[in-house]
Amino acid sequence: MATPASKPRPFGSAGSLADPVGLSPGPTRDMDERQREAAQTGRRPGGIGNQVDLEILIENVLNALAAGITIGCIYGLMCIGLGLIFGIMRIVNFAQGEFLMLGMFSSLYLVTGGGILAFLGPYIGPFVGALLAGPIVFAGGALVHKLLIARVSGLRTTGSLDEGHFGQLVVTLGISLILQNGGLILFGSTPQTVRTPLASSAIEIGPIYGDATVFLNKARLIACAIAIVVAVALYLLLEYTRMGKSLRAAADNPTAATYMGIDTDKTYRFAFALGSGITAVAGGLMAVYLSFGPFVGLDYVIIMYSGVVLGGMGSILGAFWGGLTVGFVQQCSALVLPPQLQNAAIFVVFLMIVLLRPQGLFGRSAERA
Amino acid sequence: MLEIANLSVSYGGLRALTDVTLSVKEGQFVTVVGPNGAGKSTLFKTISGIVPAVGGRITFMGQDLFGLPPARRAHLGIAHVPEGRQVFKTLTVRENLEMGAYPKAGQDAWHHTLDRIHTLFPILAERATQLAGTLSGGEQQMVAIGRGLACAPRLLMLDEPSMGLAPAVADTIFERVSQIHKEDGVTILLVEQRVAEALELSDHGYVLETGRMVLDGPYEALLRDDRVRKSYLGLS
Repeated sequence: MATPASKPRPFGSAGSLADPVGLSPGPTRDMDERQREAAQTGRRPGGIGNQVDLEILIENVLNALAAGITIGCIYGLMCIGLGLIFGIMRIVNFAQGEFLMLGMFSSLYLVTGGGILAFLGPYIGPFVGALLAGPIVFAGGALVHKLLIARVSGLRTTGSLDEGHFGQLVVTLGISLILQNGGLILFGSTPQTVRTPLASSAIEIGPIYGDATVFLNKARLIACAIAIVVAVALYLLLEYTRMGKSLRAAADNPTAATYMGIDTDKTYRFAFALGSGITAVAGGLMAVYLSFGPFVGLDYVIIMYSGVVLGGMGSILGAFWGGLTVGFVQQCSALVLPPQLQNAAIFVVFLMIVLLRPQGLFGRSAERA
Repeated sequence: MLEIANLSVSYGGLRALTDVTLSVKEGQFVTVVGPNGAGKSTLFKTISGIVPAVGGRITFMGQDLFGLPPARRAHLGIAHVPEGRQVFKTLTVRENLEMGAYPKAGQDAWHHTLDRIHTLFPILAERATQLAGTLSGGEQQMVAIGRGLACAPRLLMLDEPSMGLAPAVADTIFERVSQIHKEDGVTILLVEQRVAEALELSDHGYVLETGRMVLDGPYEALLRDDRVRKSYLGLS
């Protein structure tokens, strides 16, 4: 049986990457060991064996739940980035996975080796690096929007046959390929990780039932906390500030927003850059527990789209819950499925939810019936 | 206040407006009437900058509008209440009004204008937290007009506010527009298919047919005109 906190294994390519450091949450005893122990202490193997089985089951389930929630929150933040661009602004962006990748490498080069944040040390550095990857990719996203995306989105394509989606598809796919292969030239193909000693230590909770203990990986726990804080801050920004409201108005009806005096082009650029930056922060956070290369975006872009659609288009909170659900399903499926099928499990659950609730978990219909 | 001189507009290769001249003076209530496809909405979109002009000029308070990007025009005090309402469906009623108050003049006058909007349309206060897309057509029109008022406009442009509304609701809307004109002193430019009601409210009327201004004059003169009586008022 797979250990509960086994590494989240994205699509195929992950297998070729080196195993990241310190993913094992701590000592987990396997069945044989416990049965031997039971035999040595001379207790009746039958009853005790069942008891031990139950303890192991509980331990595995609890650990899968804990890993699902921590990783899910980081996925949630990642999905919010795409939720802004795709869910709210309705720009199809295939390069979102590459923004995630750029976030990871930005953080890596900031904090390791001769990086300018190297002085922060391996405990604080990786997390500050992740946060600073945001503004860096934000600037890149703004530039990409100004030079390329603005030509195939916004007021320019409103009311056209495809609302600019065909153009966006081709342009962003091109950006994605350029970033992947450019990344290969610049960063090389060796799998990297932002090393922190926190990734190999865990907080133990329990024993909860018998010997069943929950292990919380410290690096992931901190990453999860940062993801939640950033997500909440973004939610408040969009929901309650003038900036956020004008952004939602421009996405809702760009023509009417122009009548109100809102510069939709500028607003779209800000939203696109913000979405890129947010996903990059999530990338930086994932970089502390995951090994990554220039093609890591491929594995996650589909997860991001599932999360956004699952949560309901146009809802920032929905995108977060969608991402959380994806992470949760991915981790919990490890209990019963081989790791290769983890992503298949995501899509089975995804299809089921879309079948039963086409507007997504949190989508709300704003049209009068 | 608003001066349009010899305006020509092409829309998708077709000439939508030819040599249109129109003038709105401060405090006036001006109506443009005409059949479907005459170019009435195109005229408004050109004033707001959504559709580019081929020739002519538009000046507002002495300022050339063609030199300004579309989004800047609302900041001059031009409020455009578009055809088909175009409310922000995924925003609440209150947020719609707040977006109307996006220009600085609207923000400065926010508390005053919000009170005024709620006095004119009490239902908007009741529905403040509801998504605008879930309202009825008449209520959405009230949101659209309220949103236009929220920027504390000098000129309120209304594009067929009665479209698709039940007659009783349309009457209410006309009444409110008249109130806005008389009590708040807002200059009004109205495009309308309900010609009789519209002309009755206005100081000056224009008749637009296939992109050309065929007739204009004060309300009384238009009512006496045979063409207007026959084509638009159904009188003989």
